Amino acid sequence: MSSAKIEAIKKQRQVSHTKGRNQVPYGLGVVLGAVIMLWAFHSQEGRSLQWILGILMGITLQRSRLCFTAGFRDPILVGSTKVLKAVLIGLILSTLGFYFLHLQSAAQGIADPLQLPGQIYPVGIHTALGAVVFGAAMVLAGGCASGTLVRVGEGYAMQLIVLIGFIIGTLLGARHYEFWDLMLISKAPTIYLPSLLGYRSTLVLQLLVLSLFYYLAHQYDRAHSMIQ
Amino acid sequence: MAEYYLDCMHEACPIPLLKALKQLSKMEIGDVLIMGTDHNCSIINVVEWVKKQGHAYDYVALGEGEWEIYIEKTR
Repeated sequence: MSSAKIEAIKKQRQVSHTKGRNQVPYGLGVVLGAVIMLWAFHSQEGRSLQWILGILMGITLQRSRLCFTAGFRDPILVGSTKVLKAVLIGLILSTLGFYFLHLQSAAQGIADPLQLPGQIYPVGIHTALGAVVFGAAMVLAGGCASGTLVRVGEGYAMQLIVLIGFIIGTLLGARHYEFWDLMLISKAPTIYLPSLLGYRSTLVLQLLVLSLFYYLAHQYDRAHSMIQ
Repeated sequence: MAEYYLDCMHEACPIPLLKALKQLSKMEIGDVLIMGTDHNCSIINVVEWVKKQGHAYDYVALGEGEWEIYIEKTR
């Protein structure tokens, strides 16, 4: 909602605004580059599919301004859970998707949870430790992994420094993975709920828990709003 | 009515929002805050908060990846 005062200031400041350069040639160049890459990948079917999916994901993240950092930071900082609710909806949708993917894998006879599609790994103290380190650092850096990549892509130079740090961290993590695996990860259990509860109960349970989180987030947002 | 300019260039989330919060608390009702930013996530961030607080707001693109956010303190 604007106001008369703001409109007046806008009009007054419009004089000093310079029009931006025409971005269309850059856009056409990028599209051409993407098509050339697609052509270069044409002999590897998996690669070209990943390329197209990656581009679509990037466009979605950029246009929607979905920021996982804001999702977990803003509820505490300013009492807003709008982004957190978007993340929860994403989790609900991917729960449904992975339900069918895992049913399919079960039909194919894949029994080991670690072989299933998705991020199923041993859970333990290392999960909590990593989450705290990653969570604190992404708020300081102003972006998680996907957010940093999107912002580098749209030309926000500050995030390039974050990307360099991200690469260094990833390489160090890969180099010392054996140490962590020996110390913590290999000792932790892998918990795969469907093998304990069955597929359908797990689906219902997970959707219920996520819906409860969504409801709590919604109430939290309303409690921290000045206007009803 | 006073006008304040807040320079948030090259600042990432959530710094612009925190700066705006601080500045708005010092301002009188009816004053207008102008924020300059080059971080378009901050627009969403700031505008969302301002909307919830019930202030008047608007923003314009200056071109070349720079924006100005206008906030009138109304309460």
